[in-house]
Order: sequence, then structure tokens, then C-alpha cells
Amino acid sequence: MMMLLLPHREEEEEGGAAGRRRFPINDNADLLAEVLGRLDGRSLAVAGCVCRLWSAVGRREAVWEAVCHRHVAVGRAGAAGGTRSVVAALGGYRRLYRLCIGPALDRLAGVRRQGPAVSSSSSAARHVSLSLALSLFSIDCYERLGGVGGRQQQPPASLLFLCKPVDVS
Amino acid sequence: MKREHQEAAGGGDRRGGEGNWYVAAEQEKGKALMGTDDGVDELLAALGYKVRSSDMADVAQKLEQLEMAMGSSAAANDDALLAHLAFDTVHYNPSDLSNWVDNILSELNAPPPLPQPPPPPPPDDPLSLQFDLPPAVTEQYTIGTVDLPDGSPCKPADVDELQPEASTASSGWLISQSGHQPEVAMSLRDRKRLKVCSSPPSSTITADAATAAAAQQVVIVDSQEAGIRLVHALMACAEAVQKENLKAAGAIVKQISVLAASQGGAMRKVAGYFAEALARRIYRPQPPRGMGCSSTVESAALDDMLHHHFYESCPYLKFAHFTANQAILEAFAGFRRVHVVDFGMRQGLQWPALLQALALRQGGPPSFRLTGIGPPQPDNSDALQEVGWKLAQLAKTIRVDFRYRGFVAASLADLDPYMLLGPEADGGGVEDDEPEVVAVNSILELHRLLARPGALEKVLGTIRAVRPVIVTVVEQEANHNGRAFLDRFTEALHYYSTMFDSLEGGASPPAAVEVGGHDQAMAEIYLGRQIYNVVACEGAERTERHETLPQWRARMSRAGFDSVPIGSNAFKQASMLLALFSGGEGYRVEENDGCLTLGWHTRPLIATSAWRAAGDPLSTSASCRTASS
Repeated sequence: MMMLLLPHREEEEEGGAAGRRRFPINDNADLLAEVLGRLDGRSLAVAGCVCRLWSAVGRREAVWEAVCHRHVAVGRAGAAGGTRSVVAALGGYRRLYRLCIGPALDRLAGVRRQGPAVSSSSSAARHVSLSLALSLFSIDCYERLGGVGGRQQQPPASLLFLCKPVDVS
Repeated sequence: MKREHQEAAGGGDRRGGEGNWYVAAEQEKGKALMGTDDGVDELLAALGYKVRSSDMADVAQKLEQLEMAMGSSAAANDDALLAHLAFDTVHYNPSDLSNWVDNILSELNAPPPLPQPPPPPPPDDPLSLQFDLPPAVTEQYTIGTVDLPDGSPCKPADVDELQPEASTASSGWLISQSGHQPEVAMSLRDRKRLKVCSSPPSSTITADAATAAAAQQVVIVDSQEAGIRLVHALMACAEAVQKENLKAAGAIVKQISVLAASQGGAMRKVAGYFAEALARRIYRPQPPRGMGCSSTVESAALDDMLHHHFYESCPYLKFAHFTANQAILEAFAGFRRVHVVDFGMRQGLQWPALLQALALRQGGPPSFRLTGIGPPQPDNSDALQEVGWKLAQLAKTIRVDFRYRGFVAASLADLDPYMLLGPEADGGGVEDDEPEVVAVNSILELHRLLARPGALEKVLGTIRAVRPVIVTVVEQEANHNGRAFLDRFTEALHYYSTMFDSLEGGASPPAAVEVGGHDQAMAEIYLGRQIYNVVACEGAERTERHETLPQWRARMSRAGFDSVPIGSNAFKQASMLLALFSGGEGYRVEENDGCLTLGWHTRPLIATSAWRAAGDPLSTSASCRTASS
């Protein structure tokens, strides 16, 4: 979790300290976005609880896009613009992270924790690729589409296999 | 070594008190045996009990027996007995353990035979009987008649006579029974597992008390042993069925149910399904339509629902979709008009991922046409059209030009090439310069055609006529289509045992909330229907005619198809996908001469292969393009 100076502290010190220029982070939303984009998903979500500005900035698609790209192995450098529009159409990067990438990373981390003795073939696969995440995302999005005539449909469950076990003890 | 206290229903405090010195007695006895003194054992003497070291083993046995008798559920329920022991019996000189135990035991022997006991305590319990002795005591005791052994400790020689088995430990079974010959036999868990052979006059029963009344001559087994017996019983039954010895088969089938109840988890379920299928086969040679025997219209909707749950609860179908999609994607590289024919449309879960991948591919998405084929639906609902509509919606959001056509066909053999190609293929000179390439996709569909002779050849001919650039075939990796029933049965037993194991091992755990909670159960039913079909049906009704990859290879080559190797991209994606499944450690993706298989541990269970029509200029050039890109 990054240490960021809180705005009000900044202003207090302004008067006291000798004249070093300071930039309250909240004055510059884009800068804030840049910074937040370097967090991992959980930290970013926590950061969104700090204040309204951070919450708003923390919801920006660009920020979550940066987070996603940071955490997945992007295969061949696909047309970035094209990816953006497809992801937006399917529900956005924030949703992509929440539904697919986040749980997948958690699952892989959990597996890593459990067993050092993993077979070499599977150890090569211990990362999530963007294409895989997008495939799962698209399936989920498809499941959520309503049927013709509003027929009762089953709740989307294709991503349940990624869910963390709920501890009911 | 710890002793578990069985809290009896009555006389709890006293029992607890007794339990304490049981523990002490056990522990001390073990140590004491090592450093024996003449006369009284020192350690116990410190506690206030006078036991000769030479009597130790004997006393231990009797304490065992006592605890068993008092702790067995029957005795526990018999408050009168315990009350009698607790209050009415006169105990003299309890510090003389040996005699005291004798007294108690004789008290116990007096009351009438114990009532039918409920199933024995869980396998954990026998652990409590483990002594740190040299090879354990295994003797038979009679409650009805006071028949206590002379206190000679068991020697290793005795153990050898009882045929020790070298396998690793699993708990022995505590069996207690009463009936005409009330006898109790105990088997103690030891380093070596002892198999107690029942001698003629004695009888002991297996765990299932319900059948105890019926069967008088069974052997004690421990759970692992029971598993082996179960498999043997299944095989014996199948053999009897093959020899048309239905009477014997019927008898064995009953035994199977008993043995199956003693197992847990996957084995129990598998045995249950197989037993039921065998029973149907034995008792109703011409089964009426039901349970997956024939794909009737009514069962089509149920099939879809079970298929969906199977999709969610384990990775096999996802693996199939992902690898097939990757092969199709690579085959479509560079073409601007593409057409996919799906032989089993169902819910269309394979296609969103392909649409997304096409949308993101280099050079932009092609114009995509999908032809979905499905079985007739019971209530005239047009499930195919609904699926098409949903896919169209998705395609619209991600801006892929999408067209859809649905075909209802009871069997794939009813299709003709012109249906698949459709009017668009030959209409419009505008689109002539843009060739439309076709991919045919069949997930677990082709094996059904083997039920009718000639059907598969016709379908493969149809496929060839469409001139596809790629044909993706996914099939179960097993031979359930052998001539002999016994061979089929054996194969199926191994295959589905592995399948069920993987369901247990890789189960999406309690997370599987309300929705997914019964995913695993539904998946098991789905597999159960297949088992039923393989075992109980014959002829045209037996549609689950799985064949192995080499067999399919041979069939495809005969029909004029060449193998297209599935690339490493698919392998990587599949591996990544598997890593995400809990229990992903058990799943194994392997490459088999250009085809990919997914299996559980060492056993491949499903195989994806890709083909193209041999000698077709269009498809050849396409694959060359793919190879060079």
C-alpha cells in the first residue's frame, strides 16, 4: 500500500516548513490516476474508500485498465484500441478485474501457497493471460444476457469455479 | 497412542472415570511390557493397581473386550446393563485388575444377547484400539459363552498364521453383531493389516446392519479391503451377465449394494450407478424408455440442464471449448468471411469466447456466420433460436458482424450438405471474391452415430462435402464400444471411477453457493446417465459408444481426413485454465501426436483433435497459411 500524504497534512506543513514546493495530490486528478493505476486490485479498491475524489478517480476505466495490464500476461501485442472497445462493451476493466482477473490471481496465489511441489508443466502456467481472462469474461457476459421474452434464466455460474471457498465453520 | 472415550448413554461419569484409567492402563501397559519386572508391574502399582507383568497382555485383551462390549452402541443403549454394572454388581478388590475385569466380563455375559446393533462406529474408532505391542492380538470372543483366552500373549507366530497383509494401514472395522450366534470378533489395527478369517461356527457381519439379518456368512473387511471386494463383485457380476447367468448375477448385485455402502465418496457413487445399471440389465432385458436409454424428446431438455451443470462443475467441457476455439481461430486467420457449424448447439457456451477472440484479432473481426444444430425440443420452444438471439446480442455489443441459423435434427445423419451451406453460400456475386471458409465443430457428438451402422460414414461424408478448413472433434477418451460386454464394463468402470474421483478432488468447494451447490451432484447424475446407457442398453439405444483417440484417428483417416496438429497456444491456454481450477494439481493436459488430452492424474479422459479434408486445395492452403504465420 502506497504511502501518500494526505491533503490536509500537506496544508498544515505548508506554513511551517521552509519553501519547498508541494503538490497536494488531490489537486491533480490525473496524477492521482497515474499513481492509483500502479496499485494491485485490492489496494485500489481500498484506496477508493479514502474520499470522494479518490473514489471517483479509482473508478476510472483507465486506472483499472492499467491495473489489469499490470497483472496479466499480455500475449501478442494486440490492437490496444480494439481491446479497449471490446472490454468496454463487455462491461469494462473494473468488472473484468472483479469477476475474472482478481479471483484468478487469488486462486493462483492460493495454489502457490499450498504446494511448493508442483509439476513443472503446471508451474509454467501459473499466470493469467489476458486472452484467457477475456474469454471467461465474455462467457459470463453472455450468460447474463436476457433471453427472448424474458424467460427465466439461471443465474450466471460459469465463473463460480473461480470463487474462493466460503468458510462456513 | 490415544484412547478415545466412547461416551455411553448411561453412567457417564462412571464411564468417564473408568475411561481415565483405561488410558493410563493402556499407556503404562505398553511401556511396562518392555521393561518387565517379576511380579507386579511397577508403573501400575504407582497408580494403585496390582497387575502382574506376565498378565499384562491378558488384562489388556480383557479390557479391550470390556470396552467393546460396554461401548458398542447396543450396550450403550442398554441402560439397564450399565446400571446393573454400575450399581448392582459387587466389585471386590478392584485394584486387582485381572480379576476385576474377569468379573465384569462375566457380568456382561449374563444378560441376554444384545439387540441388533446400528452400524458400527466410524473407522476412526479402531485407532483407539491400537496398542504399541508387538503384533496385535486378534482373537475371537464369545459373549454368549464365557470363552476367554488363557492369558497367553499373542506371539508373532500367531500373527503370521492369520495372513498379515502388507498394505498400508487403513482402519479395521469393529464389528459387533448379535443374532443366533452372538459373537463378537475384534480386529485391531496394527502395523500390518490383519485379515481375520471367519471360522465356520462364527459369523461376523459387515458394516451394513440392515443386511446383517440376511447374510450370515460374510467376512470382516476393512474399508480398503471392502473396496477391492467391491470391484471384484462388480466384475463378477458383469461376467455373470455376459454369460447370461442372470440368477448368479442377481445375487451378486445385492452384495454389491452392501459393499458399496461401506465405501465413501467417489467409489460409493460409482458403484451405486453401476449396480443400478446392472440390476436394470438383469431384471429388465428390454428396458422401457427412460434414463438416458434413448434420447427421447422429453429427456432433451433435462440433458441440456445436466450438461450445463457438468460444464460448470468440472473443466472437461471448458477444456474442449477452449482448445477447439483456438484451433478454429488459427484456421480462420486471414479470412474475412467465416462460417462455423456446431453439431451440438445446446446453450452455445463455446461461442462467446470465439466471438471475443475474433473481435480482437489482428486485422479486425471477420464476418461471422454460425449454424447451430440441436435435437427437437419437447415444448415447441425454439431453444436454438433463443441461443442464436443471445449470441447475436453479444456479437452486436462487440461489433462483430453475426448471422445465425438453427437446425433441428433428431440425428446428425439427417443432415445434408446443402442445408449446412445454406443459401448465402451460392447467392450474391458481390461476395464471390470473398471465400467463406467453414469450420465444423463436434463436441461429444460423433460417438452417438456409431449406434446406427452407416450413420457416421454419412455424416463424415456430409462434412467433407462442405469442404471445411478445419473440423474440431472432441470425444471421450475411452473404449466403451467393445464387442464383449465384460470389456465394455471394465473400461467403463475405470473411466467413470476416474471421472468421479476428479469431481471429488477438483470440486469447487463449499463456495459453490446455492446455484452451484448442486453442480457436482448434477454432474454426477449426468455421468450416471452415461453409465446407465453403457451398461444397461443395447443396440440402437446404446448411444454412448465412446472410442479412443487412436480409434477415431483411424475412422477419420478412412473417411479421408488429415490430422491438423493443435498448436502450442491451445496447450498453454488449456494449462492456464486448468491451473485455475481448484484441484488443478490433479488435472493433466497432454499433447498426443497433435491432439490434446485432458485427464485426471495419469488417465486421459477427454481428447481434442483437429482435421481437414485430405487433398482439398482450399483447406490445404489455409493450413499452410496458418503454419507460416
